[in-house]
Amino acid sequence: MEYVIEMLNITKEFPGIIANDDITLQVQKGEIHALLGENGAGKSTLMSVLFGLYIPEKGTIKVKGKEVKIHNPNDANELGIGMVHQHFKLVHNFSVLENIVLGVETVKGGILRMEDARAKIVNLSKQYNLRIEPDSIIEDISVGMQQRVEILKMLYRDNDILIFDEPTAVLTPQEIDELMKIMRRLIEEGKSIIFITHKLNEIKAVADRVSVLRKGKYIGTVDVANTSKEEMSEMMVGRKVIFEIEKGKAKIGENVLTIRNLSINSKVHGKSAVNNVSFDLRKGEILCVAGIEGNGQTELIYALTGLLPVDGGDIYYKGEDITHKSIRYRNSHGISHIPEDRHKHGLVLDYTLSENLVLQTYFLNKFQNKGFINFKSRLKNAKAMIEQFDIRSGEGPITLARSMSGGNQQKAIVAREFEKDPDVIIAVQPTRGLDVGAIEYIHTQLIKQRDMGRAVLLVSLELSEVLGISDRIIVMYEGEIVGAVNPSEVTQQELGLYMSGSKRGAGYERKEITK
Amino acid sequence: MNVKKLLNNRSFKNAFASIFAILFGLLIGYIILLISNPAQATRGFIIILNGGFNGGLRGVGNMLHNAMPIILTGLSVGFAFKTGLFNIGASGQFILGAFAAIYIGVKWTFIPVGYLWVVALIGAMLAGAIWGAIVGVLKAFRNVNEVITSIMLNYIGMYLVNFLVVSTVFDLTRNQSLSPRNAYLPRGGLNVLFPLSSANIGIIIAIVTAVVMYIILEKTTFGFELKAVGYNREASRYAGINEKKSIILSMMIAGALAGLGGGLLYLSDIGKHIEVVDILATEGFNGIPVALLGLSNPIGIIFSGLFVGHMNMGGFYIQRLRFVPEVIDMMISIIIYFSALSLAFKSFIESLSRKMGGRTK
Amino acid sequence: MTLNTFYFLVQQTMFYSIPLLIVAIGGMYSERSGVVNIALEGIMVIGAFVSLYFMNQMQSTMSGQSLLILSMLVAAVTGMFLSLFHAYASINMKANQVISGTALNLFAPAFAIFTARMLIGVQQVTFNNTYRIPLVPFLSDIPVLGDLFFKNTYITTFVGFGILIIATFVLYKTRFGLRLRACGEHPQAADAAGVNVKKMRYIGVLISGALAGLGGLVLMVPVTTAFDGQVGGYGFLALAVLIFGQWRPGRILFAAFFFGLMKTISAAYTGIPILLALGIPSYMFKMIPYLATIIILTFTSKKSAAPRAAGEPYDAGKR
Repeated sequence: MEYVIEMLNITKEFPGIIANDDITLQVQKGEIHALLGENGAGKSTLMSVLFGLYIPEKGTIKVKGKEVKIHNPNDANELGIGMVHQHFKLVHNFSVLENIVLGVETVKGGILRMEDARAKIVNLSKQYNLRIEPDSIIEDISVGMQQRVEILKMLYRDNDILIFDEPTAVLTPQEIDELMKIMRRLIEEGKSIIFITHKLNEIKAVADRVSVLRKGKYIGTVDVANTSKEEMSEMMVGRKVIFEIEKGKAKIGENVLTIRNLSINSKVHGKSAVNNVSFDLRKGEILCVAGIEGNGQTELIYALTGLLPVDGGDIYYKGEDITHKSIRYRNSHGISHIPEDRHKHGLVLDYTLSENLVLQTYFLNKFQNKGFINFKSRLKNAKAMIEQFDIRSGEGPITLARSMSGGNQQKAIVAREFEKDPDVIIAVQPTRGLDVGAIEYIHTQLIKQRDMGRAVLLVSLELSEVLGISDRIIVMYEGEIVGAVNPSEVTQQELGLYMSGSKRGAGYERKEITK
Repeated sequence: MNVKKLLNNRSFKNAFASIFAILFGLLIGYIILLISNPAQATRGFIIILNGGFNGGLRGVGNMLHNAMPIILTGLSVGFAFKTGLFNIGASGQFILGAFAAIYIGVKWTFIPVGYLWVVALIGAMLAGAIWGAIVGVLKAFRNVNEVITSIMLNYIGMYLVNFLVVSTVFDLTRNQSLSPRNAYLPRGGLNVLFPLSSANIGIIIAIVTAVVMYIILEKTTFGFELKAVGYNREASRYAGINEKKSIILSMMIAGALAGLGGGLLYLSDIGKHIEVVDILATEGFNGIPVALLGLSNPIGIIFSGLFVGHMNMGGFYIQRLRFVPEVIDMMISIIIYFSALSLAFKSFIESLSRKMGGRTK
Repeated sequence: MTLNTFYFLVQQTMFYSIPLLIVAIGGMYSERSGVVNIALEGIMVIGAFVSLYFMNQMQSTMSGQSLLILSMLVAAVTGMFLSLFHAYASINMKANQVISGTALNLFAPAFAIFTARMLIGVQQVTFNNTYRIPLVPFLSDIPVLGDLFFKNTYITTFVGFGILIIATFVLYKTRFGLRLRACGEHPQAADAAGVNVKKMRYIGVLISGALAGLGGLVLMVPVTTAFDGQVGGYGFLALAVLIFGQWRPGRILFAAFFFGLMKTISAAYTGIPILLALGIPSYMFKMIPYLATIIILTFTSKKSAAPRAAGEPYDAGKR
């Protein structure tokens, strides 16, 4: 069999960690080869090595049978290797056209000749059915179109070995189907694809073979057709994984959070980021806000937690109007917030673990005396929480948050937010970037909190999570709630229709614009 | 503590980087001396190294006096650094503080002589605080780059003080401010320790202030808030800290510190007056290297202030060999440049500690 | 106000605006590539010092436009050389760009004074101004425009406009400009697209150094004949012009002229009868450009179009 890519015995070390330990990957011509592994298994590092972003310490790379050295993305490009990165590498204020040609511009005496490029791009987009608007600015177009721009970038460079790094994370089920079609079309045109993912359904749907990595080590390569999902997940995690999340029926109590006609004007465009949103959150339930990234979920949560001022409507917490209360009022009166971005909001990375654990409570009498910090009680607090929530770190309470693993950073935030004895827990993408063990932990904890009678508001983009642990789902699209569904009665496909705005539930019909 | 542990220690790494930078700066300074006058270079270099000690006890006293204002402007810059702000405006805050002190010292004769200097210093701190607050308010509410505002305020402050001096406390014959005779700082016994020197109670006030700043930053919840805002403004907001208030307060304190420095220097009985010329107060800018070398740690700033004061005295004494004292400023700027490269030093130490057989993580 | 006062005002404004324009365009190249260059002030000082010293030494054998052009080259090369240190610290060593820039700002005046006193015994570098062009042939005959731009002028004015036009073209119409802007906004994207981020940033910083060095000389020639190691905060004003100009050449031109006018008012108000009649103390006039900067930034900073990656070291390993 002819291999287009052979990565043999690749070892890549970073200070303190071996990201790739003697990994071998062989990709056949004309196949979709999945690369499966958990977050942190070394998939992205391996692909960065192939793409020339990292230089490995050991190992050889062969492209189409010839041994090569790839020092930078230009080398990769010349070998026909292209990559769609998980976080798109697009310049936000450049046009689609400019982004595609960047790095391989057509010039005459240094002056850009965009018209030739435009013709080629329009042709390619027709050939592969990749709908784009060449002159739109990146920040104005949808995530789906941004991904098509990334694919066109590879095609424009005549790449024939295409790497897709977690391409489905930001898409609706319908968009995922479309992407799968595009991938098959690419194979028909003679391309080969490496498909990085941790989603087994997608591998089953589209891949020919799969190579599995775990904790930086190579586990094996198998044919997808002859391998069950359970076998693959066991290879990935190293143990049997329970797919079903165990949870009993919700014992729903009274309303704790009531949102009425909430509206927030967008900072980016003229429209509303959140438009006339109303819902209730009750004790003992997990209510999930589903939707594609950027449809107003972030702004909604910011408004509930006080990070963003509200332009219209009211928020009631246990009957009290808190619409204009301060952030501190809310977080010290029983509203917990596990933020979307743990590095931006959740932690002060240059503070120690013990300092981060009192980030919202340092001013309480137990942690200070007349303005002077009570170091003893702060340390005791940290030790207790480390013990209770099993937070692992190099030096215990005095570890800098920066030097902790993502999973343990998230555990620290969860510990801090749960310890406050909250009535409402707002969790935004709490499992993003975590490995299976940590994900299971967070899910179990959220369900435990629910069963203790607390109200959980979960914002998630991961459909399996949305369907797996929530008791009720509301879907947001372009700042509005477009439907409320019961997770046991809805399919992923149907949810996708809501998320893409193609379907609206009863009671959530588009309002007629009356003047 | 064994060597490997020592190499992994964060403050050691930082201090090591500072010392490395100083050695480089001195070395290049020596080369500059060699180029400009090979015959006298070594002698000149030794004089620089001896700094204040060239003049015996008197020199040491003068060195302390020289260090006093820059310890305070260094604290000003360093305190703002801890809150994530670059206060390049210590010069303006310093000269406003100086003016306020002189004005009170000259005009407020209704206050008894023994207390006047205290009131004048409080006035100096207030004036500096107001000047710093402008920067903080604009940063917090209008997102105006604090580097630009504080530089502009340096110039505005200089012209404003010139105007105020001319219209209130002007000595026409000398084109400078009047002497605040009733508000001169007490010598505090330092004239006995260091005879004939300029040293007075100011250096003690500077050191005590540094200790107080250390306590505020490291031991209080207020300091906890300020540093949190400095490290991560967004996370502080999330935690419920009023980050706008923190930024303004931090700049006010920074301004007060620089203002105090101005007050102390101009209330010293050494014939120092505000001259009505269009030149920015250099003490403010010298606070930047002091803060950087002291790693923004108030205790570190005491030592770096003394070090820079020592170097400045060296600059004073090498004029005997017809060297130009600006060589000291060049050396200090080179030291700052190398401390900016400290990342390289730190990673050098990290690789060293790895070689010694242990992972950092 | 008489027409002659108006012409005088515009001619004076040129003297202050053109150096601001040149240096701010320099800053634009650097920041658009992703490196904040606060060292513009120091680079101006060094550029002015070395080129004026060159002038001082050469003026016994040369004079006029050829000497000025040669000195401008010297200023640009000197500025470029000093900016190399900032580039190395910011790009290779991933140092804090504000600290590195501050170090250069502290170094430059000390170097100028030290060297001047070592070489010529005094701090001030003097030169003869033989560069003024009283009338540009033919062009000065154009009504109004001729009086405004082609009388009592310097070759530097036209160089300044030339730099602006080239910058606009380079930034928006060339491959280099596209890549430079990409590096300032999203270096990871540029890197993945095969652009050499380090190289682009080096070029950006070096151009800013050349232009700042040149700007130092351009500032000094029309307004003085003795340089004493400082440029009066002009480098920082240029940074303010850059911010007010929203990192775009066209708006930078406007901002530079606005600040130039403010500076003219503060420096030449005695020649403007209306302002003199107001009886405002001279100190107040001197504050005007700096006050104007703060006021303008207060109203324009909320919405900043700064290049997203400006000030952040690029680390290829970080994604």
